Amino acid sequence: MHRREMLAASAAALSLPVACSKAPRKPSRISIVQVPDYTQDVYDVVRRIFQQHALNIAGKRVVVKPNLVEFDKTTCVNTHPLVVHAVYEAAKSMGAADVRIAEGPGHRRTTMDLAEAAGYYDTVAKFEDSFTDLNLDDVSLRRISSPASKLNQIYLPNTILAADLVISVPKMKTHHWVGATLSMKNFFGVVPGAVYGWPKNVLHWAGIDECIMDLHGLVPMTFTVVDGIVGMEGNGPIQGTPKRAGVLVGGSDLPSVDSTCCRIMGIDPAKVVYIAKTQQGAIEQIGEPISKVQTNFQLISQFSHLRVG
Amino acid sequence: MSIIEAAQNPDGGWPYEPGRGSWTEPTVFALLSGVGSGLSASSLKRGFEWLRASQNSDGGWSPQPKTGPSTWVTALAALLPADVLGEGNHRRSVKWLLEQTGQESNMAYRIRQWMLGNQNLSFGAEKGWSWYPGAAAWVMPTAISLVALRREQATRPSDVVRERIQSGTQYLLLHACKEGGWNHGATHALGYEAGAYPETTGVALLALRGVKAPEVDRGIAQAETFYQDPRAAGAAWLRLGLEAQGRHVHADSPPAHPRKFNILDEALYRLSENPDVLLA
Repeated sequence: MHRREMLAASAAALSLPVACSKAPRKPSRISIVQVPDYTQDVYDVVRRIFQQHALNIAGKRVVVKPNLVEFDKTTCVNTHPLVVHAVYEAAKSMGAADVRIAEGPGHRRTTMDLAEAAGYYDTVAKFEDSFTDLNLDDVSLRRISSPASKLNQIYLPNTILAADLVISVPKMKTHHWVGATLSMKNFFGVVPGAVYGWPKNVLHWAGIDECIMDLHGLVPMTFTVVDGIVGMEGNGPIQGTPKRAGVLVGGSDLPSVDSTCCRIMGIDPAKVVYIAKTQQGAIEQIGEPISKVQTNFQLISQFSHLRVG
Repeated sequence: MSIIEAAQNPDGGWPYEPGRGSWTEPTVFALLSGVGSGLSASSLKRGFEWLRASQNSDGGWSPQPKTGPSTWVTALAALLPADVLGEGNHRRSVKWLLEQTGQESNMAYRIRQWMLGNQNLSFGAEKGWSWYPGAAAWVMPTAISLVALRREQATRPSDVVRERIQSGTQYLLLHACKEGGWNHGATHALGYEAGAYPETTGVALLALRGVKAPEVDRGIAQAETFYQDPRAAGAAWLRLGLEAQGRHVHADSPPAHPRKFNILDEALYRLSENPDVLLA
């Protein structure tokens, strides 16, 4: 048994306390919508997902958090700009008082160049006016009341802390340290580089899975739309290859959304440590059944044990 | 009044973006770009006063005053001339730098990794600097620290500084990318070779000024390739690095499309127009 399998199994067996306080009491409603390609249909689909979850956005300050990682021409490293824009427009159309796109890339300091190369300038009108570089934002200290990681406090950007709703819009990707990177892992991008550096290596030394859990507990009200239209398989999150799954997955319970995405990817979520430790309760699936959209994402040998079955 | 001076906060420091709080990094780069020209005497005076007042008792600087422990930004402050920053302030910053290493050069850590079968482990003398205490060393903080220590060695030579320059130089040479140049510092992971970045290639070449090694030659070639793109991200660092290696490159104009004004980018661009501030 690998170390990660042991951690996941023991977490489940011992019912370890969950680091986040957002575990739902009712079954978590998760939407799966088939979207074959990046077309204008994405805008309608995202609006429909918001309606399915009766998101109360009117008058709220909303932050849309994409996954912007690396200069890439294959469209599978960064969240596609059309999905980000669709979420941005849906939030505005539902009466949000303010909508910002915000990201703090983990490796590259040239955030605006990265955004331009990813197509964000071309897709989002006046992109710069709507964007906050979380790496350079002013920050406030937050204590972690029951840390899963070795951290007991962390600085977070004021843009995130002041938000009424943070919408995580990650790419559906495999990840060579934790198995899969989805809505929860996407919050590594809210950790300010100006304080912790590029990369935010402190998180690795404090425990990657555990920091994912801690950050999930610290970020205020959340929702997610996962870009799985074209994801990444193999040696993700940067060096992998494109994998078409043709789905958008949405919901307000992030561990359950990530769990659902894993099943779509052919990964057993109970074997992904941070999901095993945070996902609780039943899932109410709406939209397409997993069986209709499931497609195995290739796994590197170090993570072959995560495969379902 | 320059746009950098106009963005100076009432407390004397500079924010990353106008209207925000003062941070150490943009303050240092604003001062570096303004020493000698570009900033008025009163702006410089207020900037240095802010910097001196925000130095921690251990000799280092936090990214923002009262924002956690002293970090890599101490190396930035140590780039400033001692006679302007203050001899005592500068001396304490160098002392702090000399006490720092990445966690991976800790012998207990190396032995543990060796026992776990880490194939990429080194027991060499290389020692870099981390972004944040308790983490591993990376290229950018190591390169900036090296530039600061080389300047220190040029004015106040000592064996301890010389030895640390050697071990830091070794770190950079060991962390060069196979194709040439440098990225953030992880050159290979799980079987793949990672590519270089323009910004870290530039800063590493600046730090390796005067070093003769194949890694430097390949880095220069990579930097020149990057610089062929007139809007290359990190162009200011590339220019500084190439100038440090004796390659005089044409000063590029800022990006053609409008960008949100960022003090750090603006100051770096100005510094790249006047590299002697760092190279003299």
